[in-house]
Amino acid sequence: MEEAEIIRRPRRRLSGKAKNYIFVAILLAYPVLQFVLTWSFVNINSLLHAFQRGNNRTGTYEWCGLDQFVTIFRNLFQSTVTVPGIPWLNTYQVILLNSLLIGFVTLFISLPLAVLFAYFLSKKMPLANVFRVIFFLPNIIPIVALTFAYKAPWQYLGLGDLFAKWPSSEMMVILYCVWAGIGYNVILLSGAIGRIPKELFESAKIDHAGPWKELFKIVIPCIWPTIVTLVVLGMTNVLTLYLQPYLLTGDQGYAGTLALDIFNAAGPDAGPAQYCAAAAEGLLASAIWAPLILLTRKVMSKKYEDVDY
Amino acid sequence: MEDLSYLANAPAPRRKKKNVTFALTKWFVFALFVFYAATLLFPFLWMLLNSFKSGNDFNGSGADFAANVFGWPREFYGKNFIEIMTFEIDGETVWSMFINSIIVTVLGTIINVFLSACAAYALAKYRFPGSKIIYGLAIFSMVVPIVGTLPSQVVMMETLGIDDSLLGILFLYSGCFGFNFVMLYSAFRSISWSYAEAASMDGAGRFKIFFKVMLPMAKGPILACSILQAITLWNDYSTPFLFWPSHQTLAVGLYNIQEAQSGNPPAIFATMIVAVVPVLILYACFQKKIIENTNAGGLKG
Repeated sequence: MEEAEIIRRPRRRLSGKAKNYIFVAILLAYPVLQFVLTWSFVNINSLLHAFQRGNNRTGTYEWCGLDQFVTIFRNLFQSTVTVPGIPWLNTYQVILLNSLLIGFVTLFISLPLAVLFAYFLSKKMPLANVFRVIFFLPNIIPIVALTFAYKAPWQYLGLGDLFAKWPSSEMMVILYCVWAGIGYNVILLSGAIGRIPKELFESAKIDHAGPWKELFKIVIPCIWPTIVTLVVLGMTNVLTLYLQPYLLTGDQGYAGTLALDIFNAAGPDAGPAQYCAAAAEGLLASAIWAPLILLTRKVMSKKYEDVDY
Repeated sequence: MEDLSYLANAPAPRRKKKNVTFALTKWFVFALFVFYAATLLFPFLWMLLNSFKSGNDFNGSGADFAANVFGWPREFYGKNFIEIMTFEIDGETVWSMFINSIIVTVLGTIINVFLSACAAYALAKYRFPGSKIIYGLAIFSMVVPIVGTLPSQVVMMETLGIDDSLLGILFLYSGCFGFNFVMLYSAFRSISWSYAEAASMDGAGRFKIFFKVMLPMAKGPILACSILQAITLWNDYSTPFLFWPSHQTLAVGLYNIQEAQSGNPPAIFATMIVAVVPVLILYACFQKKIIENTNAGGLKG
């Protein structure tokens, strides 16, 4: 690590240091100002909104204590508006269930599959580089085009109704997320596998370790930091994923998520009333889920501490 | 390649049986990969093919002229691409959306990457009171997800008077403590300070060192960040949708055209192709760099 040494020639000592400060101040002025302004405004404002009630007609806000949170729990547990055809599930619970389902599938189906795929991709798979190039495609194509490309064939096969009814609508969203998301994970994981020192594989061969043993005893411990990153990203999905259900179902098939609720509250039809409800919802969800993410990250990072490839 | 000849006498007869199941699994996975790759490519090839059909060819018209959804065009029809360029949705043609997208992408990328480089350089190469705090805050805000703040962003933009404007979009894109900052921070970290000292001996000031020595030396990572940023901005749906509703970028317009042209699917397909081709060209040119940089980012995330 090298840093700018403050020049210590006696006569120019102060001016050199001062010039450094001025230079740094000029470079950082806008970035820090923009960050502080947006980040603090947006977060403080949301925090306040969570304890306020907004009025769409007058555009004003008034304090309401914990009312917004009470409403959330009342809706969740007492609302009798159910999802069509599913008497045991109301329209608030389905949003929570959808969000958690997506996280669950990402962590326990997508990710293990991606690890397996990445491992095989590193095992002298023919066309490995072609696969890598193609698997990355979903990340560079506009999401509107990708969701359309996914949806169109179903529609022309006469299966468009799948997107309109829960639970099939949710299955289609989840299938989309796996389809569009797994390639990125495979790329990241196979990149990590590529960085494992070759000697480790050689020593495993000498010990007669089979490929499966090699996967569990060498590969997975070595790429553990990448796996932890992907687990964190997958858990974050529970709070942040909204465009997929919005674009796939047009928000008509009860496939909505927490984040879609919040996105809708920022849309053209929303006003202060929705702003406050969304702020409370977001605050509650973050307060419960973010510590869980950080805890998971901490616990998982402990498992194989010494590796870093 | 290292010399592994000393391993040659290591016996390996017992592994044979295991290797058979492994090889079978491997070929099964290979078949799965081929299938998965095909599902990724097929919809786009299908759209490309169908963008060269006329509406009547695709939908079918009349008794003996059946719908032609999965076949070859009965007649090659190239006019979709010209027609959509002048087709209007909410006062915008696909052509003007294309221009909007170009403006947003180019300006947004330059602003974001340049500011990220400034911030990254200052924090990576100068130590001053507060530098640790700024870096820590930037990382903290990236790691901890706080949701539900989107409506507050709307309120902020209205308060600042830059909602529904190109300036507002660029203001949001100028937030530079993100992925690019982390990448460029580590890039500047790895450049030796002795280059700056040498330039300083020749009388170069701090700005000259930054612009003429350090930025050119980091041009690889800067280029990689720019390409990824450009792709992200070209594809961005939420920001222009929420904060520039009077105009549409192609990413936003793509959704609206599905409704507006629902009777003429080939026109929709042609628009999709127009939206996808620019990123595909970028991807084709810089594929290796893009994947490398994504990998590096994943490592640091």
